[in-house]
Amino acid sequence: MLPNPFTPKFLTQLETLRLRTRKEVLGNQTGSYASPRRGTSLEFADYRRYAPGDDLRYLDWGIYARTDRLYVKVFREEVDLFAYVFIDASASMGFPSLQVKYLPACHVALALSYVILANHDHVKLHLLQDGVARAASPFFRGRRRMLDCVNFATSVTPGGALDFAPALGDYLKKMRRPGKAILISDFLMPASEYQKGLNLLRAFNLDIAVIQVLSRHEVDPAFPNGSLALIDSETEVEINYRWDQNSRREYQDRLAHHDLELRSFCHQSAINYSLYVTDRDLSDFVFATLPAIGLFK
Amino acid sequence: MEFLNPTALFGLLALPLLLIPYLLRRKPRRVLFSSLLLFMTGSEQMSSRPWGRLHLPPIFFLQLLLLALLILALSEPVFSVRPTSIAIVLDNSASMQSLENGKTRFALAKERASAVIGELSAAGQVDLYVTAPRLEKLGATPLSAADANGALRSLDAFDLGDPPADYNTALSRLASERKYERVYLITDHPTSGQGSTVRGVSVGAVQANQAVTAFEVHRSSLANARLEASAQVANYSNKDEKIRIFLKADGKTLAEREVAVGTGKTASATFEGLPEYPYYIAEIDARDALPLDNRRYAVAPLSRELKVLAITPRPQAAASLRSIPGVTVDVIAPTDYEKSERAGYGLEIFQFASPNRLPRSPALFILPPENSPLVQLGAPLTDTNLTSWREPHVLTRYINFSLFQLPYARPLTAQVPGEIVMETGKGALVFAHERQGVRYLVLGFDPLPYLGRGNLPMSIFTLNLLDWFLENSGAQSQATGEPIPLGTSRGDDVIVTPRAQKIPLTSGQNYFSGTYFQGIYQLSRGRDRQIFSRNLGDAAESDLRSPAPIEIQGSASNGAGASVLFSFWPYLMLASLALLIIEWFVNPRRRTVALRRKPARMAWR
Repeated sequence: MLPNPFTPKFLTQLETLRLRTRKEVLGNQTGSYASPRRGTSLEFADYRRYAPGDDLRYLDWGIYARTDRLYVKVFREEVDLFAYVFIDASASMGFPSLQVKYLPACHVALALSYVILANHDHVKLHLLQDGVARAASPFFRGRRRMLDCVNFATSVTPGGALDFAPALGDYLKKMRRPGKAILISDFLMPASEYQKGLNLLRAFNLDIAVIQVLSRHEVDPAFPNGSLALIDSETEVEINYRWDQNSRREYQDRLAHHDLELRSFCHQSAINYSLYVTDRDLSDFVFATLPAIGLFK
Repeated sequence: MEFLNPTALFGLLALPLLLIPYLLRRKPRRVLFSSLLLFMTGSEQMSSRPWGRLHLPPIFFLQLLLLALLILALSEPVFSVRPTSIAIVLDNSASMQSLENGKTRFALAKERASAVIGELSAAGQVDLYVTAPRLEKLGATPLSAADANGALRSLDAFDLGDPPADYNTALSRLASERKYERVYLITDHPTSGQGSTVRGVSVGAVQANQAVTAFEVHRSSLANARLEASAQVANYSNKDEKIRIFLKADGKTLAEREVAVGTGKTASATFEGLPEYPYYIAEIDARDALPLDNRRYAVAPLSRELKVLAITPRPQAAASLRSIPGVTVDVIAPTDYEKSERAGYGLEIFQFASPNRLPRSPALFILPPENSPLVQLGAPLTDTNLTSWREPHVLTRYINFSLFQLPYARPLTAQVPGEIVMETGKGALVFAHERQGVRYLVLGFDPLPYLGRGNLPMSIFTLNLLDWFLENSGAQSQATGEPIPLGTSRGDDVIVTPRAQKIPLTSGQNYFSGTYFQGIYQLSRGRDRQIFSRNLGDAAESDLRSPAPIEIQGSASNGAGASVLFSFWPYLMLASLALLIIEWFVNPRRRTVALRRKPARMAWR
């Protein structure tokens, strides 16, 4: 049973989309994504001198006529895509509640997974969570595996703290094929930490997309004025804070600065970035915002 | 600046309690949030305390100031200028000789007094007073600071008890009559309260002590020449003690006993068969706070004879006592009593007579007339059978009361506290009274004349009463401060004090009253030597655990005192009132009501 937003109409609309990659990918079957290897697609890539054994069908007879030398045409290979979706399942994603933040984040991940599955590409889901065994799904392919994706994504409850870069590193060590990496998190962590993690992904030659998920409560906290003992959901560190109009403004300024810093880093690192505030309509986000950042063809 | 009521300053310790309502009211709401990354600025305190960081509003500091001012006002602060005329009253009673870390309390008191004198202005004058034997001034004229320090150095504590005095009244009167700006009482009693003029200064602390509280040497009876001694020791400590008592004479230890004494209790030891010495010392082996009361002196009975002065209108009856061995009797008429020389008599017998005031020597009153200060006589009894008598008692021993016949008797009604030794159904017949160590006996019947075997029960009673008086004569140790009767001294008489001070006596002097030190006083009268013992008479001085506190009320200051002290606590009260009004406006009560609402918990989960 698919969750609520995944109505037949929504799924049909998703099937019209195709993920775009900025880099060449290494698939293992014929697909629609450019590969660095030479192959048999329609897209011309280069010429090379004929060598015995080459298929004579690819000889360019025009060049032979002009230069009396044998050249064969080389075409770009098009392969299927291996996509890696990373979902932050730390405690902060469960704030203020599962339904308000983590599930919307999962819905985004599932929508993107469905787009990949519908194009007969491979998708593998990873849940970023410390303190429990690293959870990664097998590669799923084909629309019928959508339910498996849903089951996997909703199999855990967000909890614990997250050490971002090491968590990603654990998965990357087992990764064999470069492809598309989609990272879904609230990125409420120090810039150095997420930069370290994203640089790790870049080092593995992955085409990266980052979707930052925040709840409305995080964008605009509605605390009552006065003294608050704020408790960090992940570290359980408690700080005393005086909440008033000034501190509200100060918080929002800091959040804007934090987002801007993340956006700038992504821009400089050729990473697609988008912010999803969870009270926004999912289809609106998927069909309006994500294409706008170049995530879809 | 000084505080007249410094005890109130302890209230400052309670000031932190003001935080409690703020801790209760201002307990921050605990809110879970996804990440505190954006709240961490460095100025916020990380904490795992349940109370969180306390944010104190300005009103707290206003209330703190208000409370501090109120407490300061209650402690009655005064600005003082250097006084020019003060009196220092030094407690010089025996307990001031107690040792505190190697120094006597009196030495500590003198140091305090010197410190007080040091605060005097250049032209300041001091009057020194001592409390024992009575509150009296030392020197006729006021002393300069230097002279006062010199006088202090020459002072010593006396072996005397505290005189019964209301120091608060006495010192206040002293301040107002002599116009002192300050009167300092330096004592080892705890003092409470402070007047604007009268100040109490306490020295010393609670200490454990053991003491010899009584010591007597007497003959065992009129017919027996052997000497007996009895000593009583007291334990003023918080644990039971075994105290060893030594009986000494002429530098030798004659006997020793060990007695177990419970805390706060006394115990006695008796020594019998003592050889003759001029005087005896009972001493305990205790290294306690007050060495003075670890020894006591007693003089042996002067002679084996009891010298009786009979004052009677019937000389023949009294003269019959001469038939008793060891008793010599001089008989005079009642009218000659005031004019007669009475020194040297161990007993005065008043038969049908009574002096205007009680004699200083033991006395027997036989059917005294109406003006007796001790008893009133009732109507003659028709039935003179005795109904009860004290037993065992020296007066009733060996008497067969079934044979004790009284042809004439009148019941006695006691006018003073005492002991009824024999009584009939209508009232007492024998009444014993003791005052300042001197025994008095009143009889409602006449045991005279002494008939020997002719009336055996009455003769036994007569011998018993002579024994009873003999116990009390000669060997009885007197308290320090009690005068030594001299008879009529001649011009060359000298008395030597326990401190080997030779004091010549003036001609015609009847008493020597300077017995301020414990020990043996020796009266030299030509070739004759007579010794007297004087011992610390107030057991309360030995009890160093809980001396009676001296309450000093805030007495009205005299004109001179007002110039020395400037009280500004009323201004502090006014300032407190002003702050209270400000606090009322700044922090209206309705806000307090709002704060009592139960806060919502974890509303943001």
